[in-house]
Amino acid sequence: MKKTSVSGWVKSGEPWVWLNAGAVAISVIMVVGLLLLIAVRGLGHFWPADIVEGRYALPGNESYKIVAEQVESVDVPSAQLIEAGIEVDESITVMQRTLMKVGNRDVYGADFRWVIDNYMEEVTRPEMLFAAERREWGNMYGYLLAVKENGNIVASTEDKAPTDSSLATWATLQERIERALAIHEEIYQVEKHDIGKINYGLERLRLQQRGYVLENQLTPERMADLESERAVFDEEYKVLQQKLIDLYTQINRDTILVEAMDGTIIEQSVAKIVRAYLPNSMSVLDKLGFYGSKLWEFLSDEPREANTEGGVFPAIFGTVMMVLLMTVLVTPFGVVAAVYLREYATQGVLTRVIRIAVNNLAGVPSIVYGVFGLGFFIYFMGSSIDQAFFPEALPSPTFGTGGLMWASITLALLTVPVVIVATEEGLSRIPRNVREGSLALGATKAETLWRVVLPMASPAIMTGVILAVARAAGEVAPLMLVGVVKLAPSLPLDGNYPFIHLDQKFMHLGFHIYDVGFQSPNVEAARPLVYATALLLVIVIALLNFSAVTIRNHLREKYKSLEM
Amino acid sequence: MSETKTHSIDISAMKRSQQALNIEDEKICLSVDDLHLYYGEKEALKGVNMIIPEKKVTAFIGPSGCGKSTLLRCFNRMNDLVDACRITGDINLHDTNIYQKGTDVAELRRRVGMVFQKPNPFPKSIYENVAYGLRIQGINKKRVLDETVEWALRSAALWDEVKDRLHESALGMSGGQQQRLVIARTVAVKPEVLLLDEPASALDPISTLKIEELIHELKNDFTIVIVTHNMQQAARVSDYTAFMYMGDLIEFGDTNTLFTNPEKKQTEDYITGRYG
Repeated sequence: MKKTSVSGWVKSGEPWVWLNAGAVAISVIMVVGLLLLIAVRGLGHFWPADIVEGRYALPGNESYKIVAEQVESVDVPSAQLIEAGIEVDESITVMQRTLMKVGNRDVYGADFRWVIDNYMEEVTRPEMLFAAERREWGNMYGYLLAVKENGNIVASTEDKAPTDSSLATWATLQERIERALAIHEEIYQVEKHDIGKINYGLERLRLQQRGYVLENQLTPERMADLESERAVFDEEYKVLQQKLIDLYTQINRDTILVEAMDGTIIEQSVAKIVRAYLPNSMSVLDKLGFYGSKLWEFLSDEPREANTEGGVFPAIFGTVMMVLLMTVLVTPFGVVAAVYLREYATQGVLTRVIRIAVNNLAGVPSIVYGVFGLGFFIYFMGSSIDQAFFPEALPSPTFGTGGLMWASITLALLTVPVVIVATEEGLSRIPRNVREGSLALGATKAETLWRVVLPMASPAIMTGVILAVARAAGEVAPLMLVGVVKLAPSLPLDGNYPFIHLDQKFMHLGFHIYDVGFQSPNVEAARPLVYATALLLVIVIALLNFSAVTIRNHLREKYKSLEM
Repeated sequence: MSETKTHSIDISAMKRSQQALNIEDEKICLSVDDLHLYYGEKEALKGVNMIIPEKKVTAFIGPSGCGKSTLLRCFNRMNDLVDACRITGDINLHDTNIYQKGTDVAELRRRVGMVFQKPNPFPKSIYENVAYGLRIQGINKKRVLDETVEWALRSAALWDEVKDRLHESALGMSGGQQQRLVIARTVAVKPEVLLLDEPASALDPISTLKIEELIHELKNDFTIVIVTHNMQQAARVSDYTAFMYMGDLIEFGDTNTLFTNPEKKQTEDYITGRYG
């Protein structure tokens, strides 16, 4: 009786439905879980954590004061701690250990410290404890004692509680930071843009002169021309340099005195401070504002401190630019190849072999493409291009080294099978009677292809492009060989002629994750950034895909006769 | 008989004069001379000889697979698109052999237009569908296009229905409208011959009637060849009728004579519904 009911249940197809639904559910849970994990870990990083003050003493050791941000806590069996040589109370089997960010790397050598919570005492959150983000040496934590201008104290306090004098000193500091930031922005503009432009011009002159020398055409008149142009640049440079010297004197005017956790007094230049805040006295609204500005900095700024601080804008820019360039290259190439294979080539053994080869190409490990790109594109084609077109720059390579163009071409090669397969699929689905309709009106085969068949196949072509973008945007391994670097001095798109610098190396979010996570000198500080960058990469890929899908749906709507 | 679609509508308005036409009196538009056609090993047309008279409607009837569509597709060399299709014999369009070497097939197809069984508008606007053939010829002047599109749509009795939505997609039209649009599109390039391959078989009776009326109008300007499964249709619209069977042209003559007084036994059997 029971057996028949089981077999009946099997026959009804219900187990199959459950199996399918289960598989879908597991996939969804895994994807959502992954996204949640990187979102929580990554986005939490920008929230201003409270700073705690307390006394910490391991049994048998002297106690000392600790001022730090709590980063994360884990449970550790005390046996493990004893094994590690820390004498702890054996009666407590499990202890909580917390990672504390004490900052002040210039004083203590390391940013982070593990403490065992059981031995922390007198934990308080004083309101006047401040945190300062600096351009070097990481964060600073402590009490503000005084603000100095040209070595003279202009505001000072002895209170560690929010009194009039301490708040006034804090306000003075904020003013000074704002002033320093404005000057810093000016210095940045001068160094990056104005002097950058001069350097670019000087380099151009140098190459021009070298070119004349190589062709034996360096006449005295030409030399004089070059010299006069160079003199103009030199003159401009002198003016800028004087301006820079002035700005640097101005920015270095102010310093502050800070009392660190062990009582040492540190003198810190205000010029090096990015922002200072009092996390313990911030309201939720203040924190939200702070969070927003940190997030914006992450998206729009350049990285600082070996990529562990600041933003990732150059990496976002590089990723998007590379993917767009790859799309521009791969689409026409793949479509033309598919059109030939499907429409013109005689269908036979040869086309079948080619089709199989194309499909297999999609399965070749991407690092192989990287090696091929390095060997063929960069070393062979790149150095040929250099010898033919940029001899004056040699021995330093122009295209004979990794760069944006070679990376895009390598990825285009990697993704072209996807586009070919999708386009062929689309072409084969165009109804025969529509083609005949066009031919019967006196159109040639090529005209039919251009005016009717390819527009109707465009949604399928876009599907191929979407798959190509998804694959290319997430690819890292081949890029490491053909042009990605951990820190690019400038964006591949700027105001200097010819505006798009295809020969330049660039930053990439995928490589940034690898670099920050595994090549960083400060692993603890970098870890949240790995999650944040990973989340960002996922979002960037999703956005690129989303825009491609939108275009495809638009095309589908336009050419929906295929469903007839 | 494969199809016996009858209409409640009497098309007395289209009734032709009862006197018999004589093929000897007609101007010759197309002449077929010992045409054999093979699909691989299979011989689909077994030596067809006939003439298509100018500015008249010629109907091909016969059971499925008899070769009538194949013969029709020979007139604009549509069979070239079929792999493994081989042809011997000649077809002359006004004394020019269309199968001779160096024939411009695209030009031939412009002169010999074709409408297919299933409406096949392009996924473009109504206007662009009709203008397609002209654009192919490199005509892009807006005034010329506008005039021709209107003329073609009027010729296909479609203008009044679509004049307010010329720039909407052609795919939003009904099947009958789509088929008339396809006819307008073909007419727009001003061909000499119109080949209609069962143009009404996918349509409802009202649309069919409209197409038939249209054929009646169009024969003033074009030589029309129509393939049909529907013998009433052939009787209604055509001046001459060819009966084909198994790749052979069995009988060809003036429609009235062929339907009322067929010469061959096979023809009589077919039109009286004894087989087919």
